[in-house]
Amino acid sequence: MDSVLGNWPSYDPHNFSQLRTSDPSRSSKMAPATYHSIHNRDVPPADQVINTEHKNILLREIYRRAEEKLTPKRAASDNLIPEHGSKQPRVST
Amino acid sequence: MFFKSSNITARIFDRQICTPAPGTSVHYARKFYENLVPSYTVYEVECPDHSFRKFTDDGQYLISFSRNQQELIVYRPRWLSFSCKDEDCDNHDLPLKAKRFESFFTQLYCVPLASCNELICKDFFLYMESNKFGLFATSTAQVHDAPAVGGAVQGVPSIEKITFHLLRLEDGFVLDEKVFCNDYVNLAHNLGVFLYDDLLTIVSLRYQIIHILQIRDSGNLVHVRAIGEFCREDDELFLNSNAQGMALSDKNKQQQLLGNHIYNNIHQAQPNPGNSFLSGIKQRLLSFMFRGLWNEETDDTLRVQKIRQKFYFHFQDYCDLIIWKVQFLDRHHLLIKFGSVDGGRQVSRHADTHPAFVAVYNMDTTEIVSFYQNSADELYMLFEQFCDHFYATSRNSMHMNFISSHSNNIHALEQLRSIKDKASSSSQFMKKMLSSLPFSCQSLSPSPYFDQSLFRFDDKLISATDRHKQSTDHPIKFILRRHPYSLRFKIKPGPEAGSMDGRAKKISWFLFHPVLPLALSVQQTLIMQPPLVNISVVNIHFRR
Repeated sequence: MDSVLGNWPSYDPHNFSQLRTSDPSRSSKMAPATYHSIHNRDVPPADQVINTEHKNILLREIYRRAEEKLTPKRAASDNLIPEHGSKQPRVST
Repeated sequence: MFFKSSNITARIFDRQICTPAPGTSVHYARKFYENLVPSYTVYEVECPDHSFRKFTDDGQYLISFSRNQQELIVYRPRWLSFSCKDEDCDNHDLPLKAKRFESFFTQLYCVPLASCNELICKDFFLYMESNKFGLFATSTAQVHDAPAVGGAVQGVPSIEKITFHLLRLEDGFVLDEKVFCNDYVNLAHNLGVFLYDDLLTIVSLRYQIIHILQIRDSGNLVHVRAIGEFCREDDELFLNSNAQGMALSDKNKQQQLLGNHIYNNIHQAQPNPGNSFLSGIKQRLLSFMFRGLWNEETDDTLRVQKIRQKFYFHFQDYCDLIIWKVQFLDRHHLLIKFGSVDGGRQVSRHADTHPAFVAVYNMDTTEIVSFYQNSADELYMLFEQFCDHFYATSRNSMHMNFISSHSNNIHALEQLRSIKDKASSSSQFMKKMLSSLPFSCQSLSPSPYFDQSLFRFDDKLISATDRHKQSTDHPIKFILRRHPYSLRFKIKPGPEAGSMDGRAKKISWFLFHPVLPLALSVQQTLIMQPPLVNISVVNIHFRR
């Protein structure tokens, strides 16, 4: 039986008998389509450095809540634009 | 999915071929503790009459103190070594020599720490794993009605001399000492001291100062800063230089007073800038509260009203708050508990009578980051979600980061939620939970037998915390959390046949080795009638 699996042993000799392999000559010509992005938002800036945040998650949460409280309450219209609309690289302290 | 066998041989074969999922290698290795359990008990071991404190967190030493609390005795835990020539060894009883304390522990040294009028605090011990240093404390007797002199807080007792000893545990050599005179530090169960990496914080309750010290590799205890009256290192210099200028003009007015020694009395008797300022940390706290309340309202009249109601109305209470307990959250941040002088040592059932507050303080910027009352919803949410980050453990010690808490273990979280649902008042429940903040240092055992994802046990009788528990005559069962959910082993403190007097009050505590399947249980029976005597029974539990 000429299969991709060769003559590997199996419990039941009738297993894999129905398998039809794809034609090897055809498969090499058809490369799967790859995606190329048409916008440049995905390109990271050349000087981006990714580091571990030094503050642990508890302190990050405490600081985040503290900053929320300290900024005086803005009018409702100001809050329509989210602060982190587009991701910016963040310098770790 | 295929079923993983819980048989130890199957597990060893699996380990050869399967890689654990990323980040779970410790949990994967811990599963072997389901197979290797301390199921055999040697009852009523004859051991030296010492009070055993704990195993060090790396399992290298067993710390104990002499009964007269003057000496430190350190043992090395080792395993039994004897051989059996017969074929059917498992059914044989252990030889008599195997049932002795000395077969399990070798004494390394005995060091006298306390001089004649001092006692070692037997509930105090901190271990610095990286250098194998141990920190111990000795103190003289407490004086309860000490007068509040020299900036001391009224109502806090005084101890004439508290000494912290830093020892190298390999040989018992005393590396350094730090002495506090006429001060008060809460030593019991490491309450007043916190160790994080190489940084040590000691809270002087009497003078309201948080001392930060560093333990150097050479074994020196170096004073880094003192937070309390002053926050930055140069605050004192600045205030003193201004105070001197003003005091000189005072001195010129008081020329009839003779003698240089009276100069010091001027500082205490006359109102001068040094005494009329609130302490540095208190100023930080009050200004943080003011700013927070100010920013809550945009309208000026509402702002003033709010400040008046919430700040000035309670101003004196806030000024009278004192620091009770401190812990590190990381190298730069402290979690400080403030309370009133009366209510600081809160028992959880009295938590509602005395309000307490918790603040996060950044030592480098000297700013208060946040401030919560101890019943705040927000603080409770942080506690519920990030509990294991409150147990600030140094990143150097790996296994200390795997202690079960309700933030990293689903079973512990379910237990917490069920208590929360049953609680009659949710604010009381939150206060009770939050009264454990700030946490005490090294108060949990890293033993895998307390891992909630491996075993289920009654935590009123035994738990990872190193506190005494009520003891019963029934053995404490450890049941598997996973299939086949069966009873895996039992720990029974006290004599094998149970104690003769069922009514006598018994307490027990447990010392689990962090790595080996070895545990000590000590049961103490408190006999109330004369002769007032404590009978201690020590059992050794190990895997035979």
